[in-house]
Amino acid sequence: MSKIKATGLALCAALSVTLLSPAVVMADTVRMWTFLNPAGTSPREVALAQIIKDFESANPDIDIVVEPQVWDQMTPKFLAAHGNRSAPDIIWVVTDFLGDAIQSGSLADLNELFINKWSEEKKADFKDAYWNLTSVQGKQYGLFASRNYIALMYRPDLFANAGIKPEDIKTWDDLKAVAQKLTVKDSGNKVTRYGFSAAYSEQQADPHPVIPHILASGEPLFTTEGKANFASDAGVKGMQFFTGMVKDGISPSQAATWTVDDLFEQFASDRIAMVQGSAVRVSTLQGKLGKDKVALMSWPGAVAGKPSPSVMAGWSVGIWSGSKVKASAAKFMDFMMSDPGDKIWTAVGGQIPGKKSTLKELENFISQPGNGYLAVAARGAAEAGWLTPIDFSVGGYRQALNRATQQIIVDGKDVKAALKEAEEHFNRQNGR
Amino acid sequence: MRSTKTVNRRNLTRWNGILIGGFFTFLIILNTAPLLWGTLTSLKSEADLFRFPPTLFNFTPTMENYQRVFDSGFSYSLAISLIYSAITVVMVLLLGVPAAYAFDRFNFPGRRPLFLLVVASIPLSLGAAALLIPNYIYFLRLGLTNQYFTLPLIYTAHQLPMAIWIIKGTIEGIPRELDEAAVADGAGHFMILRMIILPLILPALGAAGVMAFVGSWNEFVASTVMVDAPELRPVQPAIYNFIGYFGREWGPLSAAAIMGVVPILIVFMLLGRLIVSGLTKGSVKG
Amino acid sequence: MTSRSTGLLYIVPAFSALALVLFSPVFYGFWFSLHRIRYGTASEFIGLGNYTQLLSDPGMAATFGRTAIHTAVSVALTVAISLAIALWVHRLPPNRGSIVQMIVIIPWITSTVVATLLFKWVFISDIGMAMSILRMFGLPDLQLLSDPNSAMGLLIAVSVWKRLGYALIILLAGLKSIPEDYEEAASLDGAGPWDIFRLIILPLLKTPLLLIVIVLTLSNINTVESPLVLTGGGPGSATRILAIDVFDRAFVNYDLGSATSLALIMFLGNVLLVLAYVRLSKWKV
Repeated sequence: MSKIKATGLALCAALSVTLLSPAVVMADTVRMWTFLNPAGTSPREVALAQIIKDFESANPDIDIVVEPQVWDQMTPKFLAAHGNRSAPDIIWVVTDFLGDAIQSGSLADLNELFINKWSEEKKADFKDAYWNLTSVQGKQYGLFASRNYIALMYRPDLFANAGIKPEDIKTWDDLKAVAQKLTVKDSGNKVTRYGFSAAYSEQQADPHPVIPHILASGEPLFTTEGKANFASDAGVKGMQFFTGMVKDGISPSQAATWTVDDLFEQFASDRIAMVQGSAVRVSTLQGKLGKDKVALMSWPGAVAGKPSPSVMAGWSVGIWSGSKVKASAAKFMDFMMSDPGDKIWTAVGGQIPGKKSTLKELENFISQPGNGYLAVAARGAAEAGWLTPIDFSVGGYRQALNRATQQIIVDGKDVKAALKEAEEHFNRQNGR
Repeated sequence: MRSTKTVNRRNLTRWNGILIGGFFTFLIILNTAPLLWGTLTSLKSEADLFRFPPTLFNFTPTMENYQRVFDSGFSYSLAISLIYSAITVVMVLLLGVPAAYAFDRFNFPGRRPLFLLVVASIPLSLGAAALLIPNYIYFLRLGLTNQYFTLPLIYTAHQLPMAIWIIKGTIEGIPRELDEAAVADGAGHFMILRMIILPLILPALGAAGVMAFVGSWNEFVASTVMVDAPELRPVQPAIYNFIGYFGREWGPLSAAAIMGVVPILIVFMLLGRLIVSGLTKGSVKG
Repeated sequence: MTSRSTGLLYIVPAFSALALVLFSPVFYGFWFSLHRIRYGTASEFIGLGNYTQLLSDPGMAATFGRTAIHTAVSVALTVAISLAIALWVHRLPPNRGSIVQMIVIIPWITSTVVATLLFKWVFISDIGMAMSILRMFGLPDLQLLSDPNSAMGLLIAVSVWKRLGYALIILLAGLKSIPEDYEEAASLDGAGPWDIFRLIILPLLKTPLLLIVIVLTLSNINTVESPLVLTGGGPGSATRILAIDVFDRAFVNYDLGSATSLALIMFLGNVLLVLAYVRLSKWKV
């Protein structure tokens, strides 16, 4: 018994020593919340670990401590921590909550902290839709560490087998024709591979593919007061397009309860030839299927030659306004987001570069087979991208549209009525 | 006793046997197939994960997923969880036994409402995700987050209500005459608890302990929210780390999940037999 | 032998822990819910504003209804099946009994999200094992999640599957505490197995049965992981139960005011249910 007690005591002592030791070190400790675990082994985690290691060896007086969080609770938890004066120094904020984070005063102005020291060329190198989103009244509240460009993901190998070129998809009608062509049935008339799908579960929802339809028509997704505007003519037409493909058997009806992860697993199993997919997923899927089997292209347009705007989302990195080590945090952010971080994120992590110059400098890397998605996403982000507004909170718009789709597919609800109900639901949930 | 049992068994008609057999086969498939599939998945390389139709054995097994899991610090999380769960079991029993004893053997003001309060706190101990943010703020304000004692404290409170109930049920079954005889010999109530009650409820302590162990081992919500420092994070968040923002990584996810189940299976192999073989007599008194 | 306050002394340590971790956050949560919540913190006091907003939601009544159905059916099935298995295992020799027990508890001891994900992959997904086998025999694909009724059925089935092990453990422990001579005496008196079960076993299992009914009810009402993984509330709103609704309010719409209020209403409902069970079973503390 006494032996057990002694072992227990020793364990506790060992534990408390490991726990207390970081506090004893004299260096500035900078805490960062992200969903990436630098001890992990996925490409982005390896990239982050390398950035931290390089930074710490160049700045021995600064200690970067990453406290990995569950991604969907991270921003709400950060805001609660901010309200109680104990938030981390560096925080990753998802686009849907960016407005809340900025308006709550939780984010510091990065211009003051380090961006003002940049040359104009360097600033210009960064400026794009993402930059503008986090730039409010002369203050810069974040820089994007992860750019999610949500467009059309496809299987080049299946395209080649069917004699289809990606350039063939110029309009939505082309997309449907190609999806029809890629749908394969077995002898029992059972579909073994569908042409196209998106994921329509309310859980883990990506922005609905009807949004590019609506935006291409020039109609906004939200009114200026923040009310939903889903049931426009373009909305109805777009929704009919996607649910129609389900009726025609070239999109699976099961997708009504698929999450994004389910969708990609189906895609990886050769069950679907084209999916709505985000650029950030390409490298992971290429790891499963091979570099030559996953690619990304822009959405087609209502007319040929004019791609529909894609929804962009992502993670903006900011510094907590209440941080006591702002200078050190700024130093690390400059390192992580600009030099040499941007190149590491791209080359090691497979991320879309933040700087236009990185795109050029890594030209050789990006032109390698399979890496074309980086250029598609970067070009798309500059030319045909849409970010959710931050003037009002938009939480729940993805779910509202997905639920409408489920009602149409499963219950046979009228498209316009379903979209109207989705609008009402969204407005009510957001008190508008 | 054996003889009655065999008689009972013989009395079962053949149809009963087939029915039970069929049902149990169904149950075996339902319960083990996902676990077996998880084990196979954990041995597959990325390229073999999603083949269609799914492949059972036609792949080259690899240990790379386990390697990845261990490289990301999983053994540390396992050790932390083991320490947390052990502390929780000890604390639950240390606090639960006196409380259960008092609820059964003493008459004090508010006894009945207080006991109902214990029972009613079971839903709180299920860790409703809904109250997460207010709970987090409350703990933050008290300075109780992100400490080495944060999670053992929370787990202990979560597991206490059930343990008190189970232990109280057993004490009910111990005849009060034993207490009275001890009183006649001059024993105080603490003496009675130590010398008479405790030896008789050891199996119930086992059952309550197993419940507390499983409960704290599998706790997820508080584990992710109430502590931030990586060195304080137990095993469940480490498993869920493989269900990331960029997708589920089934290989390491299943490897981590399998390794997360093994310690509990061991605990059950050691203590679960007590429950079936009747050594826990009276752990939950009818 | 007992002074009236000694008993209190014995429960003080346990109650301090419960008060600190479980009870006071409820009061804090209630105070929180009486405010307008902006950016995750309480701002101005609005009384019951969050609650009235909640009750004005036209979908609320249906969500309560679905929760009641889901909980009632899941609990009834879990109790019935676990009782049957417990009675059977009780009669098995210890070796075989512990094997059966191990098999039944597997889903309970596996982390909820992973267990549900694996269940979905193996049995439900059309890239899974079960559907491949169906296809091999030329049978049509089952799309269980694409129909509102079968989706709810599946949600219930997974709930039963996940919690059977817990119920079995508690019931087995209860069964083992029934002195063996009770049954023996009864069967010598000519009582059949059904009579023994009804007149002897069932009354003696009252406490463990009450315990599992309470715990199963509360965990079915409150846990969000498996419904989120399995259906996310769909298709349509067919499986949108309270727990999902609260989760969405808190983490999708980030409306912590109504999420906290709804969670507290649920908590009050939980407590009332516990009291009702205790009263109905005429259980003496």
